[in-house]
Amino acid sequence: MTTQTLQTLEARDVHISFGGIRALSGVNMKLRRGVVFGLIGPNGAGKTTMVNVLSGFQRPTSGTVNLDGADASGIGPQKMARAGIGRSFQAARLFRDMTVEQNLMVAAFGAGLPAARAARAAHEILEWMGLAAAAGKRCDTLSYGDERRVSIARALALDPAFVLLDEPASGMNDAECDALMHTIAHLPARFGCGVLLIEHNMKVIMGVCDRVHVLDGGRSLAEGTPVEVQNDPTVRRAYLGEKAAPKSAALF
Amino acid sequence: MSVSPLSPHAPATTDRGPAERLLRCWFPVLALIVPLFAVAIVSDLAGSVMIQRTVTEALIRIVVVVGIYVFVGNTGVISFGSVTFMAIAAYATGWQTCCEALKPITMPGLPEFLRDHSYSLFPAALAAVALAALAAFVTGLVLMRMSGLAASISTLAVLFIVNVVYSNWDSVTMGTASMVGLPRYVTLWVALGAAVLAIVVAWLYQSSRFGLAVRATRADEVAAAACGVSLYRARLLAFTLSGALMGLGGVLTAHFLGTVSINSFFLKLTFIALAMLVVGGMGSLAGAVAGVVVTSVVIDVFRRLESGFSIAGANWSLPAGTQELVLAGVMLLILIYRKDGLMGGREFHWPSNRGKIAGT
Repeated sequence: MTTQTLQTLEARDVHISFGGIRALSGVNMKLRRGVVFGLIGPNGAGKTTMVNVLSGFQRPTSGTVNLDGADASGIGPQKMARAGIGRSFQAARLFRDMTVEQNLMVAAFGAGLPAARAARAAHEILEWMGLAAAAGKRCDTLSYGDERRVSIARALALDPAFVLLDEPASGMNDAECDALMHTIAHLPARFGCGVLLIEHNMKVIMGVCDRVHVLDGGRSLAEGTPVEVQNDPTVRRAYLGEKAAPKSAALF
Repeated sequence: MSVSPLSPHAPATTDRGPAERLLRCWFPVLALIVPLFAVAIVSDLAGSVMIQRTVTEALIRIVVVVGIYVFVGNTGVISFGSVTFMAIAAYATGWQTCCEALKPITMPGLPEFLRDHSYSLFPAALAAVALAALAAFVTGLVLMRMSGLAASISTLAVLFIVNVVYSNWDSVTMGTASMVGLPRYVTLWVALGAAVLAIVVAWLYQSSRFGLAVRATRADEVAAAACGVSLYRARLLAFTLSGALMGLGGVLTAHFLGTVSINSFFLKLTFIALAMLVVGGMGSLAGAVAGVVVTSVVIDVFRRLESGFSIAGANWSLPAGTQELVLAGVMLLILIYRKDGLMGGREFHWPSNRGKIAGT
């Protein structure tokens, strides 16, 4: 269970523009501990940019990122990590010449844990995720699915108050994906953290998330419970187009 | 610095005694140190003075190359400026220990506490190493803010700056002239002790949380930042520790030769030391040591052949320059066929772990 006291991670009116291209325009979202928060939207909607903003990798052009209400915009990824924001990457980005266990240890030490506790935390996380057998393997020998799971395990080793997972199941087959989503759904109960989940598969996200936020073209389209979002007319229009969205159509 | 949690460990299913765990944990170091001890003992008992000098030189080079490795190997950033810290420490120990009667005449610009006093060897060596570490720390404060290539080139700038300053600061460094008359206390055994110390320090560092963090930045800077690792601090520590070991190498060189001159700590030494590291493989401590051993053997054998040998009563000698050509050829072959060096970035591991855990 995490030792972080952080309760909320919040983006307020975040704008991002890359040389004239607006990646995000006035996005607001608030993540709470213990909640799985889904972030969906078509390609190019700004989902990964949002994760980069929330984890300190991308400074908002305007607007703020707040930790328990205090402005933390621009403190950078390393301090964000230390403040309790863990993240995974779409491209796993493991330390490939290290063992799985060492990958977790980097994060556990990064969070400031003493050696013995860091080792125990790493061990427990690997055990819980069913990766204990891979602990001593070098990461460049892992299967694709294991790589993705280690990437999540490493984010958890940071002892985070929030983990931001950027398409953790991409490239996995259905069975692997189901198992992973089961794991993700249980993260708040096991680690006491909040979760931000980006995922393309709507069915999956509706099954796992407590709240869902829809982005489209860098703007917030809707936010609510999965059922509310499913029934939101603007969301239906964005996904199916004006005419193709009769009320009876099963969107998800 | 606790080592055990990070070190290669046994599979959870097997039960092992603490002695074996300790052996397993320190095996990568023992695999380097024990052969060095063996070579030292053999050359001390059976070797000529020439051989002993050669071995001593190689042991000093191990300190130097391990010193470079601590930064270059762990961070993945090439440093062309590391021998600068050798020069700084060599001069520092020289100022403290050499030629008390001559100092006021040859180096009148020295501050009074150095010009008119001499200090005992060990504290002088410690002070020199500390000064080198401090110099590395201060330059690192600026340099380590730069990324990859910019940092590499800026270390070259540091090399030139210190070289120019020391070459022209006549009243303190005697310019490009040699400072002579340093006590020559670096025997085979002193060099061996220093090499072992350097290897152990490098191993403790790379097995520590700080070493793990800096190696994470080498593998992936972005992911390391997401794990709470400060690239700047991690590299600064590596650079400072590297500077201290380079300083130790400088002190040893100075008290082995008995002379110090600024131009012996310049481009030639920089590139030969980097070449040794590349030959062995800059990703591992074993690579650093193996690189020195292999290149030293090549250099020494061909240097001897150049100076003449006899077969069946006839005297032969290879043309001058053969040694450099052969060394260049060996390096080319290694770079072509093993681009990660002889050790390929791996340490020597306890046999049952082979192939499973490496690069640590």
